[in-house]
Amino acid sequence: MQQLKKRMHNTLITIAGLAMLALSAFAFAGEKPSFAPEVPHPTNGSTECVQPEDEMKKNHMNYILHQRDETMHNGIRTKQYSLKECINCHVPENTEVRFGDDKHFCSSCHNFTSVSIDCFQCHMDRPMKGKATVMGENPHGAQMSKPVSTSIADTSKEGKSNNE
Amino acid sequence: MSNSDVNISRRSFVEKSATAAAALSIAPGIFLHTVAEAKPAAEAVTDAKRWGMLIDTAKCASGCTACVSACNTENGIESHGRPRTDQQWIRKVTLRDKQTKHEISLPMLCQHCETPPCVDVCPTGASFKRDDGIVLVDRHICIGCRYCMMACPYKARSFAHETVDNKVDYQPRGKGTVESCTMCVHRVDEGGTPACVEACSEAEHGAMIFGDIKDPDSEISKELVKHGGKQIRADLGLNTGVRYRGI
Repeated sequence: MQQLKKRMHNTLITIAGLAMLALSAFAFAGEKPSFAPEVPHPTNGSTECVQPEDEMKKNHMNYILHQRDETMHNGIRTKQYSLKECINCHVPENTEVRFGDDKHFCSSCHNFTSVSIDCFQCHMDRPMKGKATVMGENPHGAQMSKPVSTSIADTSKEGKSNNE
Repeated sequence: MSNSDVNISRRSFVEKSATAAAALSIAPGIFLHTVAEAKPAAEAVTDAKRWGMLIDTAKCASGCTACVSACNTENGIESHGRPRTDQQWIRKVTLRDKQTKHEISLPMLCQHCETPPCVDVCPTGASFKRDDGIVLVDRHICIGCRYCMMACPYKARSFAHETVDNKVDYQPRGKGTVESCTMCVHRVDEGGTPACVEACSEAEHGAMIFGDIKDPDSEISKELVKHGGKQIRADLGLNTGVRYRGI
């Protein structure tokens, strides 16, 4: 009897612990935790990314990787998911910040999460002169409304927000 | 704000005047055809086209290196003061007939073979031929083994020994991979012409013609039908995309 009581007590504690964990996860989903890095937003006035921000945070690497092979092998040079356009929009022209600095758009998160990437051994970490996206010239503007043709894209979120 | 406005209009002015200058400097009949056929960005390349070059050695001036410097500028290739290992996508070669002492000068670059030996030997699939005949290195998967450099009968490929500081956004290059002439694929995909061909024309030699050798109406095809174009080392049966006249 004593043993059964103890076991029930343990189970209760576990359930309570799980519930608290779940709650804390909900709490974090709403706002950014204090220890998260500051990710610089585009300074050109652009407020929308090519996909919703959450989707980009999670899956940007898949979009870029897919586009990489399409461009390299099939000569498809659409701007929507190209690394070059990420840089053109997110990194200001003439910036002194380089990849590796905490203030660089890519490094801000990659340094924090210790995920090393070698994109910028070859690719430019800032826009070429005269290539940065200026306000009102969002290269993705026209493509945003169209359905995304690539198989990896998840447009359900975007579609919902448009209908509401 | 007013500052950036000024910059925008200045930028568009510079762009427009550059376009106008480019349009004026184009030699009649050479580029108009390819310019008209810009592929939509979302469309994949197909084997309906095969890009090629015809080089007339009679028009290629000895001592002129316009094509080489144009290539280096376009692709951000810099010398490190070590000629034996510096990258080189195009080079000038002088051939001298021992008997007659006749000299011809020609630019040597990746010949964009139909059956490229560099692709055969690549262990990772980094060296590949696009459907439109352009032979490229996918530097994302190149491991820098340099088998392709050994296999190429034209010595067309180079290894990047140094980090690249002078980067350009349309032609990413980096240390530890093999590279070679891309036929300025970033220009070609947008309906443009390779930098070397443009420079040759601007230098008023017009020794290089670029175009689709599968299109019977293209300038290059017409020239090939009329005057022919030899392959270097035709005995290897590689069916090169770059052809020469006067060799």
